[in-house]
Amino acid sequence: MNLFKDDFQFTKRQLGLLCVGLGMLAFVGLLGLDLVTGGDGGIGPAQRIGLGLTVALVVLGLSLIPLGDDKA
Amino acid sequence: MAELTGKSSQEQASDSGINIETIGLMAGRALLGVALVMMVFYLVVYVAFAANLIQFPYDYDQGEGFELVDVMMFSEGEFPYADIETYPFYGSIYPPLYHVLLVPFAWAFGPEYWYGRLFSFVSTLVTAGAIAYVVHREGRRYATGNATRWTTRLIAGVAGLAWLASPIVYHIGPLFRQHISMVMFEILALVVLVRALEIDDTGKRRRWLLLGFALLIAAGYTKQLAAFTAITALIYLFIRNPRRAVVWGTGFALVGGAIFLGLTIGTDGHWWTQTITANVKDFSLDQARGLFDVFIDLHFWLLIPAGVFILYEVYFDRISVYSIWFVAVTGLNAYAAGTWGAGDSYYATPIAATCVLAGIVTVRTFNGGWRFNQNVYSRALVDPLRRVAPLVRAAAMIALPVLFILYGRAIVHMPTNVAPFDTVADVFGIEDNTGYNFHDPNGYVTYAYAQIGHFLTDADRAAGDEIVALMNDIPADVPVLSEEAGFSFAAGREVITNPVVLMILWEAGAFDSTELVNMLNAQEFGMVVLRAQFYPQDVNRAITVNYEETQRIRMNGFDYIIKYPRAEPLE
Repeated sequence: MNLFKDDFQFTKRQLGLLCVGLGMLAFVGLLGLDLVTGGDGGIGPAQRIGLGLTVALVVLGLSLIPLGDDKA
Repeated sequence: MAELTGKSSQEQASDSGINIETIGLMAGRALLGVALVMMVFYLVVYVAFAANLIQFPYDYDQGEGFELVDVMMFSEGEFPYADIETYPFYGSIYPPLYHVLLVPFAWAFGPEYWYGRLFSFVSTLVTAGAIAYVVHREGRRYATGNATRWTTRLIAGVAGLAWLASPIVYHIGPLFRQHISMVMFEILALVVLVRALEIDDTGKRRRWLLLGFALLIAAGYTKQLAAFTAITALIYLFIRNPRRAVVWGTGFALVGGAIFLGLTIGTDGHWWTQTITANVKDFSLDQARGLFDVFIDLHFWLLIPAGVFILYEVYFDRISVYSIWFVAVTGLNAYAAGTWGAGDSYYATPIAATCVLAGIVTVRTFNGGWRFNQNVYSRALVDPLRRVAPLVRAAAMIALPVLFILYGRAIVHMPTNVAPFDTVADVFGIEDNTGYNFHDPNGYVTYAYAQIGHFLTDADRAAGDEIVALMNDIPADVPVLSEEAGFSFAAGREVITNPVVLMILWEAGAFDSTELVNMLNAQEFGMVVLRAQFYPQDVNRAITVNYEETQRIRMNGFDYIIKYPRAEPLE
């Protein structure tokens, strides 16, 4: 896979893997943010929404993987 | 790719006798006609409101006058991003493009409200036209044999008008505010970028891409919120061709950054302070949630097809820029709507995306333009339905126009005492629920939902004239502090302060109010006009200590507090 080829376009599988990766990274990042900033108040409502969205992104990504080489 | 049925519409028709699809088509067209009538009615209400507002010479929505100040400053070759800690304590938190575009009007007509409002109103018509264009184009692109041009046009028209019919668009459409022209630049940018990617000729494609990115920059330099649409465009380009996204995205960032840097240097850093520091505001989850609920309540019926279309594209077709746009701006604007000073206007862009998607779903259904990739999901979910495809399509051709009609029912807004709307209100039992002879679907209840939309009266104009007359009684060499700029313009006086900017920067610790407070303590202002008292706390305190209220004048439903210097300041 050469991401920077002239004619490269994402497939649904590649997009799915990207979503899974970004979602997991964001999930860990949001939890890590709590540790870095002290996190006295626990997980706040906005943070909870953010975590929910990252989980949704991972689920979306997983559901795209079976679509294989369909163009995204 | 395969059609839902795998057969032409004519073949499906003959398979199912005469003919479930024809019945659906006829009924659907009739229902579309009903939806069109409703949307045209809201267009008439909107035009009447715009005509009423454009003639009004004072602020209707607080802050309009300061947009006019920005225009006048640009027309005189000055930046409005000035030192707010020294007299006249004026600054602006918005980018310049909207104001710059109005400069020729300022040269020709001086400080007037009508041209800023007219420009915004025309922007809304252009945006509605762009929505209709997208829907029409998608309709023609996927049209099969039985598609008709006029049905495609009808659906495109209904989708464009549905955007204008939204009470949120209605509120802000004809205001002297830059938000709605940002939405216009946003959708035009996406339309151009989509077109660009369809062009094979490299040179021509590059010119279209350049135009698309120029429109994105125009949107961003109209209002910062357009950043979310820029994100959409870059995601879309990245999915379609990462190399192109990186190259053009880098160029976009460099040009946008260079303009930003130039403005920062050209204003001695005040551009940075006022457009960045002043826009880092408190966030209220309750406000965000309340406005999100309003968005859902008002647009629920159109959100259904929009959501279905996104699922369809994700699992059965290629993902369009409009689906990405919907997801990005609905999520990010919903969050941004929770910041202090934000309001329902933040949903103008998500509503545009909703109307585009709902329109595309409808036009594809009527034109027989659904295609499904052969994959694991289509084999499990779509293939079993192929035998009943004519029935499904017929049902959808009836259901989709009904959704537009239900949307029209959910967004009822109109004056209840202005002819001919009063007759319509009487016939349908629609009552004033705002206290301003106006029916609004929200009733002005939700916090941060704009309490505007009602028509202005002669009494409102007379009230504004009365405030100006009081200002005129103050000697010309004595300054007057007015929370709204319109009165100062009408009285031919210098506009002093932009209160909200001072308050936000004061709360951010970026405004030292000493000089302004000293002027108030010395009672240097001959008169003070307040409305919402959106000044820093210590400025409000100095006003209270040194100025006493003599009367309140009601205009547009708001009390304007008139204050004069006290004989003896309070302790």
